[in-house]
Amino acid sequence: MSEMRDMIIDVVERIFKDNIHKETVDLLEKGKWAVDVWNLILENEIEKVAIKEATGGAGGDIEDLLNLYQLVGKYAAPIPFVEHTLANLILEYTNLLPQAELSTVHLAAQPLTLKDGKVTGQILFVPWARYAKKFVTLATEQGNQFVVLIDLKDATIQQQTNLAAEPRDTVTLSEATILASSLINDEQVEFLQKLQTAATVSKMTGAIERAFELSVQFSKEREQFGRPIHRFQLVQQHLAILAGEQALSTAALDNIVALLLKGESNDEIAYARLKLDDASRIVATSAHQVHAAIGVTHEHRLHHYTRRLWAWRDEDYSAKYWKKELAKQLVNSSGTLWETLTKKKQVEHI
Amino acid sequence: MAVLNLPTVQFTREQEEFREEVRAFLQGELQKGTFQTKCDSWLSGSDPAFSKLIGQQGWIGLTWPKEYGGAERSSIDRYILTEEFLAIGAPVAAHWFADRQTGPLLLRFGTDYQKNFFLPKIVKGECFFAIGLSEPNSGSDLASVRTKAEKVEGGWIVNGAKTWTSNAHDAHYMVTLVRTEPMTEKKHQGLSQLIINLKSEGVTIKPIHYLTGEHHFNDVFFDNVFVPDEMVVGTLGNGWVQGLAELAFERSGPERILSTFPLLNEAIEELKRKQDLEGLGEASKLVAEFWSLRNLSIGVAKVLEEGGEVGVSAALVKSVGTKFEQKIPEVVRLLLDVYPNLKAEREVDRFLAESTLHAPGFTIRGGTSEVLYGIIAKGVLAG
Repeated sequence: MSEMRDMIIDVVERIFKDNIHKETVDLLEKGKWAVDVWNLILENEIEKVAIKEATGGAGGDIEDLLNLYQLVGKYAAPIPFVEHTLANLILEYTNLLPQAELSTVHLAAQPLTLKDGKVTGQILFVPWARYAKKFVTLATEQGNQFVVLIDLKDATIQQQTNLAAEPRDTVTLSEATILASSLINDEQVEFLQKLQTAATVSKMTGAIERAFELSVQFSKEREQFGRPIHRFQLVQQHLAILAGEQALSTAALDNIVALLLKGESNDEIAYARLKLDDASRIVATSAHQVHAAIGVTHEHRLHHYTRRLWAWRDEDYSAKYWKKELAKQLVNSSGTLWETLTKKKQVEHI
Repeated sequence: MAVLNLPTVQFTREQEEFREEVRAFLQGELQKGTFQTKCDSWLSGSDPAFSKLIGQQGWIGLTWPKEYGGAERSSIDRYILTEEFLAIGAPVAAHWFADRQTGPLLLRFGTDYQKNFFLPKIVKGECFFAIGLSEPNSGSDLASVRTKAEKVEGGWIVNGAKTWTSNAHDAHYMVTLVRTEPMTEKKHQGLSQLIINLKSEGVTIKPIHYLTGEHHFNDVFFDNVFVPDEMVVGTLGNGWVQGLAELAFERSGPERILSTFPLLNEAIEELKRKQDLEGLGEASKLVAEFWSLRNLSIGVAKVLEEGGEVGVSAALVKSVGTKFEQKIPEVVRLLLDVYPNLKAEREVDRFLAESTLHAPGFTIRGGTSEVLYGIIAKGVLAG
């Protein structure tokens, strides 16, 4: 890990630690968000990480960004950090200009229809759309695929939330003029899908880390039958299971990051996404079981992480999507599974 | 929780080439009929002739110094080699324990005499070891062993019994954990490791048949067995600590995630033949789990190579990995029409039978999951 990266991570972790309290995350339930935390991110120019300096960015790479997404999960940060930065990363990747105004992104499986520079269609579960000014998404025109940039003032926005009360709005567009577009091929679409998936994997890994930590801490503090509950073997079993899933999730994330940096990634992001789906279920179950009754109250903060895991596991390109993609690849593969798993890496174009 | 963060490993070109070399050799032997693919082959596939062949390839003691006949290659190379053995289900059980445990133990704690005497023979695939730990009354509570060695002129007289000893019937020697001082409150103390020649007078080996009727495990009895002084490994009374050092190697390797891999591999071939996309989607979940576990297991191998501490993460790999090994047959049987039988002609049926019937042992051998959970919990609570 580079010194520069350590520094950015430290700065953001400090901002989140000092400013995101249980009440801050609870704001989302009331339809508010942590604008002051977002302003700290802007003041420190953290939202420019991984954008090239030439286009007004702060430099850094995808590893920096994914590590920060992990912190968003770990602190349940109620800000559109992932969405804004991912939108800009995708704009830059497709040779469009990153946006300073608050932006969001959703690469829906059902793209918008593009005709003569205008888009039409409806996209569900667009994160933070009610607060964002710009929207990055996919559109098709006569079989060609485009990344398009849309001004959200041209959209009808119906407010919705996910299981964790995070904004997930329905965006409806009717012949709305696009601000910019970029033609992309199938491989590029797939790469963008992987990028979005890697972002979700990072957030989920962070939430798992926190649910695990909370459980360990609670098992030390809570006493029953005259001793801390971690002294009971059945509670220890939960802690061991949580530790296992935390280690597997972190290793999955670290490995896809390493592959993305080298421009290599065949099926690994799909594997990671499937594993995180599994890990979310196991972690939420064991973490709640360790916390018992207090953990299912709104008063306790465990639900900030478990509700996010339940919400995030179904969003974007989920396990359901990647399972099918992997099946298609397997059915067409000439070698055995073992040959597929151990084949030499091929370099992808980023 | 730094204890749970492990490095990522990407194979070098040389390592990828080594994998291809090993694979080509094993494929060739499989086609010649030298062996038949088997699930759990590192326990159930004991074939001294095959081990000798592997020795001739220079693939036993791969990481050991050249002066003892090793190849001085990295642990990652050995990891690759082991993966290829297990993925193709090759019969590696005969030399397994000597290669995995005894060699590293002797290299670390053995005398020059022991190293010069045993290692070159092990490397040639001509000298096999069993590991004598469990006893009739001490399984998970291993430190309570009662087999005792009493000092006599020039050596020790051993009396007692070991049980669940894998492949003792094919092995020439056993590294045996014995009590060289009377048991006190501190039962971890006073234990030593002795190398016992299994052909010695007073040694009786009796099969314990596995639930399939197969013979992998044994009871080994010692009745006034003489063990010369030069067969004490390391320091007298330090047997527990020396034994613990072996466990990290034992618990985190590919054999804790690949025991039933031939079944998954073949089930996917069957599903491909049927063009069963839904089945392949379900099987993909297992592939994803395998990939995640493999990352962790290779990460531990890397830390071990660098001399780091991996007690907790090795316990993690084993406890999660063996549960995954058990899950493969349970998923596969719901994806295909199956007729599991140990003698079945169709491979998927035979592999399913082997996997199902061997599965209960995975979470018991080498430390039960319950014992491992305790180790992991202790580690994270201290972290």
